[in-house]
Amino acid sequence: MLQIIIQGLLLSGLYALIAVGFTLIFSVGRVLNLAYGAYLMIGGYAFFFFSQQLGLPILLGVILAGVLGCLAGLLKYRLLVIPLKGDHVAIEISTLILAVVIQAGIVLLFGDSPKVLLPIVPGVTQIAGASVTFNILTATLVSWAILISLYLFIKKTHLGRAMQAVSMDKKGAAISGVNPDHINMLTWGISGTLGAVAGVFFASYTQLSPSMWVAPLIIAVAVVIVGGIGSIIGTLIVAHIIGFMEVIAVAEIAPELRGVFTMLLIIAVLIIRPQGLFGREEIQ
Amino acid sequence: MAFLSIENLNAFYGKAQALHDVSLSCEKGEIIAVIGANGAGKSTLLDSIMGLTKTTGTISFDGTPLNGGPAAAVERGIGYGPERFNLFPYMSVYDNLMVGAFTARNDIEKNLAAVFRLFPRLEERQAQETSTQSGGERQMVSLGRALMTSPRLLIVDEPTIGLAPKVCTEIAAALRRLRDDMGLTILITEQNANFAMTLAERLYVLEAGAVRATGTVDELRDDPRLLEAYFGH
Ligand SMILES: Nc1ncnc2c1ncn2[C@@H]1O[C@H](COP(=O)(O)OP(=O)(O)OP(=O)(O)O)[C@@H](O)[C@H]1O
Ligand SMILES: [Mg+2]
Repeated sequence: MLQIIIQGLLLSGLYALIAVGFTLIFSVGRVLNLAYGAYLMIGGYAFFFFSQQLGLPILLGVILAGVLGCLAGLLKYRLLVIPLKGDHVAIEISTLILAVVIQAGIVLLFGDSPKVLLPIVPGVTQIAGASVTFNILTATLVSWAILISLYLFIKKTHLGRAMQAVSMDKKGAAISGVNPDHINMLTWGISGTLGAVAGVFFASYTQLSPSMWVAPLIIAVAVVIVGGIGSIIGTLIVAHIIGFMEVIAVAEIAPELRGVFTMLLIIAVLIIRPQGLFGREEIQ
Repeated sequence: MAFLSIENLNAFYGKAQALHDVSLSCEKGEIIAVIGANGAGKSTLLDSIMGLTKTTGTISFDGTPLNGGPAAAVERGIGYGPERFNLFPYMSVYDNLMVGAFTARNDIEKNLAAVFRLFPRLEERQAQETSTQSGGERQMVSLGRALMTSPRLLIVDEPTIGLAPKVCTEIAAALRRLRDDMGLTILITEQNANFAMTLAERLYVLEAGAVRATGTVDELRDDPRLLEAYFGH
């Protein structure tokens, strides 16, 4: 029981971090960014390259991964989203294509066999009788630290308020002196950074492989559909619902059914409450 | 050149033309009203001043052309209270006002105090989400948000639409104080010609996207063109 609670908390923190960057872009930019999983892949492989292959310090590796993710987000906004302005279907199709292209690039650079990322923080500890790796513990704590900072940023700073404003009323934001294009750009950068950093932890939790962008994308989509777009707190809660469901399914029912309950939940929510459990149209 | 000077303004929505050769000017410290029926082009005119529409012609403010889009217009000193308010529904009154302060961060304390002096109700309701507010309260938040941008020119689209007479009086008093006490220049649009004539010094009558008449309130009081624009055809 305790084991399940601890595993659930650890996994859910990571899921929340994975999902929040996706929610952000969906809320502010109104783009379903199907290439989001690719940021995680970029982050994971960048960390592998800088820290494991070049031997740079771990923290520097994480930062460089974040910078690359940020660049990927900014470039995508500039080269893809702006030219396709407003055409949602075209944007979504091209984001999906982009993910596949990035996957091909990764295969070219790193080969297509999976790679194991060494633990970011090695070691194991006991919490209430359950053994927990420092690695996943660090991932969870960092996830929480990032989520809390992001929440405070959005609620309490001028830029964060401007992001909320753009997500709720673009014209209202513009006539308040906020340039929605700048805010969108910023949001793409933040989303890319969050995705890449989440990717470092996700890869160290699972493994690096050129198809690793799919699973986190599904998690992110699930969190957004179940939680509804708009609320960081909602993202957090739903990440925990999904994380716990997976842990319980694996421990009590059958590991093969890991993702099945998440899918069932998605369908149930789509039928019963299509706007999501916490759904509003905007971030808040 | 006038403080706000609009010359031969044409505005377009796709191929449809909503404003035809509109010229209008406004001196510092004036209160001007643009009167017109539904669809006359009042909102289009104000949106165009903010750079929110596709236009030809020139709009200059304080001696320099305005052509950098809405954020630039705000930074130049134009505050806008739009027709449908465009508030941020799930943010508090306070946060809505603070978004208005985005480009005027040094004046936050001063502007916030001025807004609360003007509309004490907003101070009491600071934490309320604007989605739960009444129309009158939203109008106050909208004006308040515009004032938080430190404007020198305030443009307001139909400030009294849908409001009870008592709230109309309150809004009119607030606008007059903004001019008298704070030296703001004010341009409003109105369908309610009576309200416009009690507040403004000069009027423009807009009909089907073109200026039909212009003059002081006294000059236009009994002008048939005013009645025509007011009641439509
Ligand atoms: N976004 C738009 N797309 C196409 N046409 C528009 C758009 N907005 C306004 N129009 C047209 O432009 C003309 C002027 O509209 P506008 O909203 O400026 O009038 P108004 O005087 O503000 O009317 P009201 O009193 O109803 O607010 C109308 O014919 C309207 O149909
Ligand atoms: Mg209008």
